[in-house]
Amino acid sequence: MPLLTGSTGFITNFTGGQPDLHPIVTPLVLVPIGRRWVFETRATFENDLVEVPGRSGFHGGPVQKEVEYAELDFLLTSYATVTVGRFLTPFGIFNERLYPVWIRNLQSDPLILPIGIGPSNASTGGMIRGGFKARPQFNINYAVYFSALSTTSPVDSDRFAGVRTGIFMPKARLEVGGSFQHLLEQERSNLFGFHAIWQPTLLPLDIRAEYANSKRGSGYWIEPAYKLSQLPFLQNEMRRMQLVARYQQFFTGDLVSDALPPIDTKECEFGLNYYFMDGLKASGDYGRQFSGAGNLNVWTMALTYRFVIPLGPAGSAR
Amino acid sequence: MRREWILVCSVGLMACLVRSAIAQQQEKSGKDSVVVAAGGASTANSNSSHDRRSPKALGSSASEQRAARIEGEKIFRANCGRCHQPPHQFPPRVMAMAIRHMRVRAMLTDEDMRLILTYMTQ
Repeated sequence: MPLLTGSTGFITNFTGGQPDLHPIVTPLVLVPIGRRWVFETRATFENDLVEVPGRSGFHGGPVQKEVEYAELDFLLTSYATVTVGRFLTPFGIFNERLYPVWIRNLQSDPLILPIGIGPSNASTGGMIRGGFKARPQFNINYAVYFSALSTTSPVDSDRFAGVRTGIFMPKARLEVGGSFQHLLEQERSNLFGFHAIWQPTLLPLDIRAEYANSKRGSGYWIEPAYKLSQLPFLQNEMRRMQLVARYQQFFTGDLVSDALPPIDTKECEFGLNYYFMDGLKASGDYGRQFSGAGNLNVWTMALTYRFVIPLGPAGSAR
Repeated sequence: MRREWILVCSVGLMACLVRSAIAQQQEKSGKDSVVVAAGGASTANSNSSHDRRSPKALGSSASEQRAARIEGEKIFRANCGRCHQPPHQFPPRVMAMAIRHMRVRAMLTDEDMRLILTYMTQ
């Protein structure tokens, strides 16, 4: 049965005292075709509303519309899926797995996010991906992909080939992995990165981290998030709250990139998430950015919601 | 020259992964057919006592389902919980589609997908 799902959010951002209102809607359509095919596409409708000198209130341009990806997946075997079309570039973990506003713990993007994902966060080409149990102690997941050059904005992409693999140890609840990409145009350079996600069994704690390196810059982020469900008071409220922190650093490379900071930058952020109900989350965070251009405060407040709408009668699973 | 080597290595790696996946699939289907054959033989041998064993068989089916649910919960917490908060229950067909999407996104196997669906819908 086809499904319309996705997320919507209203994000308020104060960067160096400048307010910016950012409404965003990200619908995702899933269409099963037979037993082995899935078509999925995600679009984004967003706007940036800012204060204009001499005018009252917030003003923005036209709504920005973008089809982020539109892919056709063929479930080849239990352990391999073939994807063709436009797909999110599987470099690192943030772009593919943590990007939607209802999933991410902090609303701001990591500084290194643009590394390895192409000019519009997606690739145009083909990919084989999957996962399998290599040993009882660990699972392996992999994605091998190729992207062709596309210069049509906003669906532009670079020409590159790459691979990402990860090893997940269910007992330790630890995933570690790496990404490698070779750019087949411009400076024909290699990019690589590492990622890790750890959820200790004794604590409601998630620790995520990522490192990326390219000729245009390198850096890392580490993000612990702790749910307060173990606190012995106000348990109904505490189990809905999550404390988050993130420390990140970016180092400029030999080449410049419009998407990356122009100078070495580091940032630390602290935030609080409150989960009202399934899919509805309020979050607020404070960050301090340090760079040669001057230090500044970044405040973010957001309300996000994940929706799921069946496009047909929702009955038995068959 | 270096680019060719990288491409050859990527293609080689891809071939190894696909071969390993196909081998696992064949091994799994081989095991399944052995189980089916064994099940068929046991049914044929115990046909006369079938009625007397029904409650026991039912009990074992219920315990199998319970085990599948527990395993599904474990897989759900390990795989889905790595990225996002657990969602509430949805109708079965909605959940089936969402899990099919996550099979691709989270690189789950068919087995994991089935167990998570059992956990999320029962």
